[in-house]
Amino acid sequence: MSTDRQRNPLNDFMIKVENLSHSVDLGTDKLSILQQVNLDIRKGESAAIVGRSGSGKTTLLGLLAGLDIPSSGTVSMNGHLISALSEDERASLRSQRVGFVFQSFQLLPALTAIENVMLPIELAGLSDAKSKAEALLQRVGLGDRMQHTPRQLSGGEQQRVAIARAFAVEPQVLFADEPTGNLDTRTGEAITELLMTLNREQGTTLVMVTHDQQLAERCQRHFVIEAGVLHEKTDNTTEVLSA
Amino acid sequence: MNVTAKVVSFTQDLRERNVKVMLMAMIIAVATVATINAFADHLQRTLMTSANAFLAADRQLNSRTNAPIPEAWYAEAEKRGLKVGRMVEFGTMVSNESQFQLVAVKAVDNAYPLRGEIEWQADLDSTRQIGSKGPGPGEVWLNPRLMRLLNLRPGDALEVGSTSLEVTGVIMREPDGGFRLSNLAPRVMMHVDDVAATEVIQPGSRVRHRGLFAGDEATLHDFEIWLEPQLADNYRWVDVRQGETLGESLDKAEGFLLLGGSLAVLLAVVAIAVASRQYALSQRDRVALLKTMGLTGSRIRRLYLSRLIWWGAIATLLGLMLAIPAAWFLASMTARLMEQPLHFEVDFWQLWPAVLTALVALFAFAYPPIDRLRNTPAMRVFRSLPTNNKAALFKDLLLASVVIFALLWIYVSDIVLVMALLGAVMALVISLAIAGGGLIWGLRRLPAGKGSWRLAVIALYLHRNATLSQMSVFAMTIMLAATLVLVRSSLLADWQAQLPEDAPNHFLLNIAPESVDQVEAFFTDNELNRSPLYPIIRGRLTEINGQPAEEVALNKDDDELRRELNLTISDSYPEDNQIVDGQWFATGDTSGLSIEQSLAESLGVKIGDELGFTVGAEKVTAAITSIRSVQWDSMRPNFFIIFPPNGAIDGLPSTSLTSFYLAEQDKTLLNDFVRQFPTISVLEIDHIIERIQQIIRQVTQAVEAILVMILLAAIAVMVAVVSATMSERQREGALLRTLGSQQRLLVRATIIEFALIGFLAGILGVLTAEIAVWALQYRMFEGEFHWHWPVVISLPFASACILALLGRWQLTPVLTVSPMLLLRKLE
Ligand SMILES: Nc1ncnc2c1ncn2[C@@H]1O[C@H](COP(=O)(O)OP(=O)(O)OP(=O)(O)O)[C@@H](O)[C@H]1O
Ligand SMILES: [Mg+2]
Repeated sequence: MSTDRQRNPLNDFMIKVENLSHSVDLGTDKLSILQQVNLDIRKGESAAIVGRSGSGKTTLLGLLAGLDIPSSGTVSMNGHLISALSEDERASLRSQRVGFVFQSFQLLPALTAIENVMLPIELAGLSDAKSKAEALLQRVGLGDRMQHTPRQLSGGEQQRVAIARAFAVEPQVLFADEPTGNLDTRTGEAITELLMTLNREQGTTLVMVTHDQQLAERCQRHFVIEAGVLHEKTDNTTEVLSA
Repeated sequence: MNVTAKVVSFTQDLRERNVKVMLMAMIIAVATVATINAFADHLQRTLMTSANAFLAADRQLNSRTNAPIPEAWYAEAEKRGLKVGRMVEFGTMVSNESQFQLVAVKAVDNAYPLRGEIEWQADLDSTRQIGSKGPGPGEVWLNPRLMRLLNLRPGDALEVGSTSLEVTGVIMREPDGGFRLSNLAPRVMMHVDDVAATEVIQPGSRVRHRGLFAGDEATLHDFEIWLEPQLADNYRWVDVRQGETLGESLDKAEGFLLLGGSLAVLLAVVAIAVASRQYALSQRDRVALLKTMGLTGSRIRRLYLSRLIWWGAIATLLGLMLAIPAAWFLASMTARLMEQPLHFEVDFWQLWPAVLTALVALFAFAYPPIDRLRNTPAMRVFRSLPTNNKAALFKDLLLASVVIFALLWIYVSDIVLVMALLGAVMALVISLAIAGGGLIWGLRRLPAGKGSWRLAVIALYLHRNATLSQMSVFAMTIMLAATLVLVRSSLLADWQAQLPEDAPNHFLLNIAPESVDQVEAFFTDNELNRSPLYPIIRGRLTEINGQPAEEVALNKDDDELRRELNLTISDSYPEDNQIVDGQWFATGDTSGLSIEQSLAESLGVKIGDELGFTVGAEKVTAAITSIRSVQWDSMRPNFFIIFPPNGAIDGLPSTSLTSFYLAEQDKTLLNDFVRQFPTISVLEIDHIIERIQQIIRQVTQAVEAILVMILLAAIAVMVAVVSATMSERQREGALLRTLGSQQRLLVRATIIEFALIGFLAGILGVLTAEIAVWALQYRMFEGEFHWHWPVVISLPFASACILALLGRWQLTPVLTVSPMLLLRKLE
């Protein structure tokens, strides 16, 4: 569904950012977090954003996903100028189109694994929530843990549930903020594998913030952010291929 | 299964401590208001029925002239379903052929008494019977003294005016015996149908008609509204509440119950506001996550609003379900006390204030912070952002104040009470702001100290926001509870003073000068205490400033102009009288007189006016030197006119009056007394006093029960607020333990921290409670204000202890569970 490209070249971009700057008010001072960011990501591409802690990665991810609006500049998602939309309009746009994976999993502790996965499907008003969720949990290897609550699962297992939840509405774009940050290397690798595979299968656009160089290498695009300024690493082989 | 619903589902909510607190507070509020309403309603009904016996009906319609009560009024009352009774009172001479005697006749119909009972005997020495009917046509009942004076036996004939009636009983007590010493003639009770035949009722004779009415309150009220415009000055509609002693006690009790209810509501809404804020805070992450999934603000609002409505409905239902047995329990307790059968019924319309309370608690206190959840920034999924809620908080506070004011207003409809409470709350908020600021300032500058003290001070400073809000809630709770305790104490003391257990319950009238010594001897022999002897001189008020009183008085028809008044001589006035104008006699004063206020007003006389009296053949005059207010139903001797010793009426023929207390088990002494002094009248008012005391006891019981309920609510609120912040504290405790802090140190620091909060809250609470009590006392309960030092001093310490215990208790899981487990659980 997300891959039915149209002829209009503008529509080839999943994410398009122009002259984005962001700062926050700290009462007396203004803290400038991002400066003059320009970026575009095509549909189906995978992009990694790397940088030091505090460089502004999470802030940028939030702006790309429309969780917040930039101080200046524009953000478009799938041709919609989201930086000009109201909070509710952005929320409506997110439902069905956007999935998230967080460093700290963010599962609802009161819900079982399957319920956590069913939640976005139901919220989007889609049918067959249960069978879809079951299939996804099978797919991430948790077919026998469906009725367990997050507390009964390990960190890696929780992140699998979170990934299943993120893909549950077959989003056009998936945002991940350090998805392996809380996991050991082996588990992190497994999660990476899962994320990339599902991404490929569903043809989802992937935007990921990571510290993990290996994970970054596996993405088609590779951005580096330094003190709020974004560069693209051009020696990326996949970048050359897609250009 | 609907997963969305489960995200904020009811069973899910119940696991949330804050939701439990909110629900509990709401249940407490609804239950208290409903219990108080149902119980106050019950009390009102039973007490009034019991008190109405004093009228022998629920209402009396009294004529103030000799005009009868129009038959059309009785017809209308009966048409409306009221029970009616007719009664005529007049004075006349009766005789047994040889002897004549002036008597006070009460002629009653078959319906009399509509309320209360008559006590009578078939003969002087037969047993007392309790009846619900007076003498029938052709019959007459006499009081014991008259039986003896006229030497009559049952079956004998008594001439009343032109007719002859058969003596069939001795009247011992009538429910509406009333208590006016003005009428000293012995009682004769006959049937109203025989009155015409007596021919004593002539134009100009002094006859008083009374209509008796009984039925349910609403009908009586409607009838009164219908009747009111037709009542000229010469009829008076009498409600037992107009009696000062009883009416005031009942009013005050009702005021107290309402005060208690209001305080419970205030307490509960404070808890609800705190809990809902905590709940909203705990829900922010969830809301942010739901927003990333595309949930719009309006859907979030709907999600939470539906939860809130669920909680409200369930809390209201549970509250009402608790209230009904609670009110029943209170009612049965008081019924047992009164040795009365229990007639308890709940009028469901009485419960609407409880439902209103629930709605207000829900929408004005619980909803605003929860509604603001939809403004949670979605970015919160990545980082917790500080939210600036000052403006919103102020708006909430304003809305809450207006709404609670309106609620209390609807509920109590007493502006003084509402203002006193809100004023005290306001004073508390201001002093909290000042004390809080001072505390933070002081904590930062406090010398570091050692060990647990240091830890406690650091904890206080670190949680300064939590510290302040906890202190506010505790101070508020303490203030409200202390207000109630203080008001209750002075209320009870007030009632106790009004009618002490050994208040005189018998009067002796007509003590001739020559028998004074013998009476005195009788009292000493039987170890009885009596009040001072009041000399009574019977005289008519005939002149005002030298003019005939009947011509120049403002109200020329005043009853007191048409009969003999009891004039007395005294150098001091009765305790419950108050001088409203002029000066009481100085020692040695022999001139002047003191007059009762309403009589002075009716006559249109003021200080300095000369009043002339005719006593037998003598005429005396004296100028008014003081005007007194008199509590006529105080059950103590009271007089319209008092002269100073050696004054104008000194030396005129007099009898004496005295009162004394006689316990129920000593009543047989009365028989000896009556046998020994056949000419002295004994007025038994022990049953009236007993009944009033019973009513007051019952009301006291009710007040105590409500107090206990409110104190329980207050403790519940405290526990709720402490446990609302429990998880954060547990996490800290666990952290401190993993960091190697000693248990003992941790325990001591927590105890010190909470004791300090409790102590400060106690001081602020009790001081502002005094403000509230001062305001309430001044207006509502009309007592005098004085500081309650023992409470002021002990309460801060008590509250420090209670909070230290609460703090220690909330720390228990931190100390018993392994820190690892705790940290995992609290993740
Ligand atoms: N609302 C805000 N208020 C104040 N400072 C903010 C706010 N948002 C972001 N910052 C600051 O902006 C900078 C960038 O934050 P951001 O979370 O985007 O960094 P990051 O690259 O994701 O770091 P990390 O790798 O540690 O997660 C940080 O210094 C952060 O403290
Ligand atoms: Mg980050």
